[in-house]
Amino acid sequence: MEDFWIEAIELTQSVIDGLLFGSTYALIGIGFTLIFGAMHKLNMTYAAASIAGAYVGLVVFVFFSAHPLLVFAVSSLASGLIGLLVYLICFRFIPVNNHLAALMATVGALFFIDEVIIHITNASPLAFPALFGAASFDLGAVWIRGDLLFVFAASVASTAALLYVLYRTRLGLATRAVSQQNVAAQLCGIDVHRTNATTFVVAGLLGGIAGAMTAASVGVLSPLLTLPITVKGLIVTVVGGLGSIPGAIIAGLMVGAAENVFLYLRGVNERDIYVLLLLFVFLVFRPNGIFGKSINRD
Amino acid sequence: MFYPKNLAGLLPAAACVVMLLLPGLSQAQERTVKIAGWGAKSGPLRSFGVNSEAVLKAAVESINAAGGVSLGDGTRAMMEMEYYDSACNADQAISVARKVASQTEALIGIGPTCSGAAAAMYGIFQKNVDNSGDTGLQFPILTDTAIRPGLAKKSQWTFRNVPNEINMYDELFAWLRENHPDVKTIYGGTETNQAHSKLTFAKVIVQMATKHGFEWVGGGIDGLTGKIGSGSDQVLETTKASNWLMEDTNFSVQARAFKKSRADMLIVSSHPFTTCGMLKEMKRQRVRPKVLVGLTSSSSQETLLGCAAEAEGMYIPTGFAPVTSVAKRVAKAATANGGFADLHSAAAWENAWIIKQVVEETGIMAKPSTLAADRRKMRDGLEALDNVDGLLGSVGRVRDEGESIKPFVFVQATGGQWVVVHDPRN
Repeated sequence: MEDFWIEAIELTQSVIDGLLFGSTYALIGIGFTLIFGAMHKLNMTYAAASIAGAYVGLVVFVFFSAHPLLVFAVSSLASGLIGLLVYLICFRFIPVNNHLAALMATVGALFFIDEVIIHITNASPLAFPALFGAASFDLGAVWIRGDLLFVFAASVASTAALLYVLYRTRLGLATRAVSQQNVAAQLCGIDVHRTNATTFVVAGLLGGIAGAMTAASVGVLSPLLTLPITVKGLIVTVVGGLGSIPGAIIAGLMVGAAENVFLYLRGVNERDIYVLLLLFVFLVFRPNGIFGKSINRD
Repeated sequence: MFYPKNLAGLLPAAACVVMLLLPGLSQAQERTVKIAGWGAKSGPLRSFGVNSEAVLKAAVESINAAGGVSLGDGTRAMMEMEYYDSACNADQAISVARKVASQTEALIGIGPTCSGAAAAMYGIFQKNVDNSGDTGLQFPILTDTAIRPGLAKKSQWTFRNVPNEINMYDELFAWLRENHPDVKTIYGGTETNQAHSKLTFAKVIVQMATKHGFEWVGGGIDGLTGKIGSGSDQVLETTKASNWLMEDTNFSVQARAFKKSRADMLIVSSHPFTTCGMLKEMKRQRVRPKVLVGLTSSSSQETLLGCAAEAEGMYIPTGFAPVTSVAKRVAKAATANGGFADLHSAAAWENAWIIKQVVEETGIMAKPSTLAADRRKMRDGLEALDNVDGLLGSVGRVRDEGESIKPFVFVQATGGQWVVVHDPRN
């Protein structure tokens, strides 16, 4: 009986840690889904730009001993700027209907950004500051990491801000209009390119926060973070439903929790099998994801 | 006495003779001992290639500053080095090896970085010399970094000058046994998608700890004895070690398992990025073992850059530390060249000097026409070596296996530095 309770506590702790860490996956997923929602295209560079933004934030920390909050803000701004560059390089001048060209351009940009980081830093892991890194809250037999709780709170706040922008501002209205019918939006006087560029910047701002939060929660920043976060972001986007922000949030938390539970129960060598199986199940049985618009499989 | 009737008429002839001699003269003057290095200069392990190149460059500069290399006919030649990027990738390492062997006049190659890439690359070399039926590459290699035990014997053309982790951990745990008599139980984990970390943990570290009387928590592991490789599959089971992947970002489950184990000694067998991730999570969860042991590859500057505070107290055996005058000079020269001298890269210095020694002992000519013969002499010379001078003392050679027996020390992370806490040479 005692073993049962120990196992139950361990599982609960795994779920809590996974949910909290999953909030960074949710932020990355939101970025993917925001751009897909606006342009119906995948931006594979997104996570790399987020990590690149975190590196710029780290520069401010190392050279000016900036407060972690300022580091996160700079990371966000830098990632927003990189997002704009990515839009200009990989989307703006590529014909709208050539989806493959835009996709491949972003794959190329992903590796380019990654390699630039590697060449500048020699790929050395660098310590990244965390807010409330030493804090923890004991809830009986389980505990909550203070820094992860902050990551979770920041993710919730960022998502709330994004939803406000999308549903309460003219920019959000324009973004939604372009997303639904870009020709009609143009006829209504909306500058589609400008709206798309702004969407990339907004998604980038969010991505910078996610990149900094991820680095802060690991405690170390490394180019090794780019690919796993890209993969997790894509899984979250598909599971949540392409274009659905609430879906990305729920899927991010779900993937984070599932990952930790599988890791605890089956070990690291099988963990990713089950997470990818989850993706496969959604692709086959619910291709529109949790909240995505319905997709005609044929 | 003979005097030419028309001296002016001889001038064109003299000019022709000089013209004919010039290429020969310039060839003699420009003869160089060419060597090629390759390692990871792109990808997540770029620091390894950067460090190796920096140290190799420093070694070549030092050899040339000392007058260069004496060739078989007494000519002094300078040493020239070209460094290639093979990433941490088997295909790229093979491709660079083929290119260097077939398209350059390099006498020998030094590389690659990763053990997986080295294992695949060694496979394209001629297995046994003088076997005309084997068309594998006939080009000598003296690897500086790829450290997984027992690789060089794949071909008689492949040699390594890397630390022997079996000896290192054997001695480390013997020393820990003596100095920490209160430590009885061990627990640990590794990054399972990195060949070196995984195999060294599952086949060497745990076995050597067992050999010296440390016991895996919870009643041991089936088949595990003090013999290399014993019980290695069971060591990696989920119910035993708690492992992670090289690119993982969340270590909460693993750190909890470490804490739950209540082991006296914890082993973190991974490279700097995940070592730091794991150590930071262990600190958050207040995991405080009596003794913490790391993987040889983490005894580097990268670990200190990422998590000096969290690594405090960690013991690692290493084949390099600036404890001799020449080692101090190498550390300084590597930094001046934009890298760091560490366990892996420091071997590049020794390799350049070994190559100089073999060229001089075997009468290598360093001419394009003698390239194949020179490469063979280089191979035979490496095979015949017994002992060479290393940065920490004499480096022994294991003849039939192409491996080294290098001196090493034990370092401990203290105050943001790697401090030598024990020197088995003394």
